[in-house]
Amino acid sequence: MASNESSPRLRRRRRDRLAAKDDAAQQTSRADDAAFEVSIPEPYAGPTAAANRPDFAYLDAARLEALVERCFALIEHRGVDVNHAAAVKRLAKAGCKVDADGVRVRLPRALAEEALAAAPRATMLCSKSGRFDLDIPRRDNTFHMRTGTGAHGFIEPGSRYRKLVLADVKTIATVSDGLPEVGFIAHPFIYDAPERTADIHGLAALLSASEKHNWIQPYDTENVGFLMRLAAVAAGGESALRDRPIVSCIACSFSPLEFKEMDVEAIIQSGRYSIPIHACSLPTAGGTAPVTMPGTVLMAGAEILAMAVLTHVLAAGTPLIATPLIFALDMRTGRSLQSSVEALTGAAMAVQLCKRGFGLMTHSYGAGADTPDVCGQSQAERALLGLMVGLSGADILGGIGQLECATVFSPIQAIIDNELGAMQRAWLHTPRIDDDSLAWELMIEVERGGHFLANPHTLKHCREVFAPSAFLKLAREPYEKAGRRTELDNAMAIYEALMLRKAPHGLPDADAVAEMAEIVAAADRAILD
Amino acid sequence: MTNTLDDRLDAIFDAVLDYQDAVTADLVKTELAHGTDLRVILNDALIAAMDEVGELFSQGTLFVPEMLMAARAMKAGLEVLRPRLTETDAQPAGKVVIGTVHRDLHDIGKNLVGMMLEGAGFTVVNLGVDVPPEAFLEAVDTHRPDLLGMSALLTTTMPNMGRTVELLRKEGWNGRIMIGGAPVTREFADAIGADGFAADAPAAVGLARKMIGAD
Repeated sequence: MASNESSPRLRRRRRDRLAAKDDAAQQTSRADDAAFEVSIPEPYAGPTAAANRPDFAYLDAARLEALVERCFALIEHRGVDVNHAAAVKRLAKAGCKVDADGVRVRLPRALAEEALAAAPRATMLCSKSGRFDLDIPRRDNTFHMRTGTGAHGFIEPGSRYRKLVLADVKTIATVSDGLPEVGFIAHPFIYDAPERTADIHGLAALLSASEKHNWIQPYDTENVGFLMRLAAVAAGGESALRDRPIVSCIACSFSPLEFKEMDVEAIIQSGRYSIPIHACSLPTAGGTAPVTMPGTVLMAGAEILAMAVLTHVLAAGTPLIATPLIFALDMRTGRSLQSSVEALTGAAMAVQLCKRGFGLMTHSYGAGADTPDVCGQSQAERALLGLMVGLSGADILGGIGQLECATVFSPIQAIIDNELGAMQRAWLHTPRIDDDSLAWELMIEVERGGHFLANPHTLKHCREVFAPSAFLKLAREPYEKAGRRTELDNAMAIYEALMLRKAPHGLPDADAVAEMAEIVAAADRAILD
Repeated sequence: MTNTLDDRLDAIFDAVLDYQDAVTADLVKTELAHGTDLRVILNDALIAAMDEVGELFSQGTLFVPEMLMAARAMKAGLEVLRPRLTETDAQPAGKVVIGTVHRDLHDIGKNLVGMMLEGAGFTVVNLGVDVPPEAFLEAVDTHRPDLLGMSALLTTTMPNMGRTVELLRKEGWNGRIMIGGAPVTREFADAIGADGFAADAPAAVGLARKMIGAD
């Protein structure tokens, strides 16, 4: 925000200034000192009103229409496989054709169009305290971000890679709660809990430690109910959870064109609690989807369209957020990649298809890299991905802190992602073109050899420039003097400051935590025994 | 109004920090009408304000345009005092001749240094841009400064700093010389025989104070 006054809060009173006159003589260079005073990033305010968001488009109207048409045609003629008998019955009752195997379901176009028309265009992802509620789409017309899910590796700051354990969930929560660009937090996979109930242990830990909205990722059908019960306890009861959904839930397709019982159950249970659903398709070009990226995008679009129908029939009115996560198979190694050139192209197209073609709230990876460590390649890949997906219209960018194709979480990378996310949001404003933005009067009056530095127009706007927290803009001398300090050193300082933050607001009380522990124990007994 | 002297000096201090040049000038006039010693107005309000500005800039709290606008406000107050300063025994902190070296036309940074030095109570003689070594020599002969400051933005014009130092020393001028500008480093300053290097305007003020022994 532009200001015509230096902040009275930050400046000293004259009398205090004079009392500290000895200090006054010590005028130093900003480049020498201030560059290293790193603090926890402040929220990037974004535009004061909803911005006119610039659109990047691989798909022009004709191409977009062609893809949309093929999505409708694919789920109607080929159909999808739904491995949930009760759901299939309800789909049949809604007009879907079911094959003799009781699994293959063909979704009529009229029903799919009805589902898209009925899908909510906005929702709220609530935080526990109410301080970090997320309006989707974001009010300023940019995007929210979330941490990576599915991570099972952890790079502890100052240390090396290791398996992710339950105690790391609190670290992820603490770091993510303190980073303003992180809107909500996913629970990772933890190794020091029973494998079949690791999701329940992880979510319980996350609900107990983080103030922000949490994202549920079930690992099996019978786990879904326990996860929902945990969320209800953390929210203060089922009714409170319905009023303010402090969690949202992922439901995934099983490419190609199949839905496991667990994911259908996740849709049904999310509907029961009015919890927003991230309808996720994760096709891999060349593996579970065609190697040609338009074919992979078609796969993602068709699966998400099918999930819109499933949600409409099984959980009517439940907010659905289209979540295409596009991967590409490395043809040399067989590894799945999330940030290859092809995957980035696919992500941009899939977001355009879901957002502009279907008109759905849309969520995709906007961070993440295929490299195993926090390095230059990681920053380059995630910067390109975030910018492409952001410009393509996504409401949520996922993957904060994730490395090695969404399998590793790094707090240091999360801090860098926070900075990249703020920069990318800053880019998502089409500038005004008017006399003020053009500085028209000044341009007319500027003299030969003149400048714009000492001018009320510059004073008015100089604080609108983006201020990085971790990135450095140093000249050689202070850089060398500081031992060649980099943005990663600053990120480490920010990490240390984040870990010293006071306990977050709005966490479940001791009784609720005890009740969640009972649910976790009950889940272990029911699922493992 | 029952404002005390301290209250009124606070108002001048705040006007500078709020970039209010006309208000600063009016308040200084009012203070003179109260019969306040102009050295008190200068040191305890105007210079104190610019010291605060320099420190806020060094901390990263104030931006360059804000520092510049505060310096303008301070200068507006100083202009009110200037006729009286020459009539009294009030001494400036020191005298500095500054200029951008030969074949270099960039003057924003150099002018910023000049304004900040004035804000710190120095008398500044600004020679402008594209100043040949001979013109610097003539200026130190004419103005007898305590310090000479040179600025360059271009790597191609930096060598003219060395040529100027060489000429000044050859002709026997032994005053202190400080240099600055985007490509300039401490090593370069040492290499050409300058006495100091400052990375930005507040650092130049600190260096100037140190050089004249006010620190």
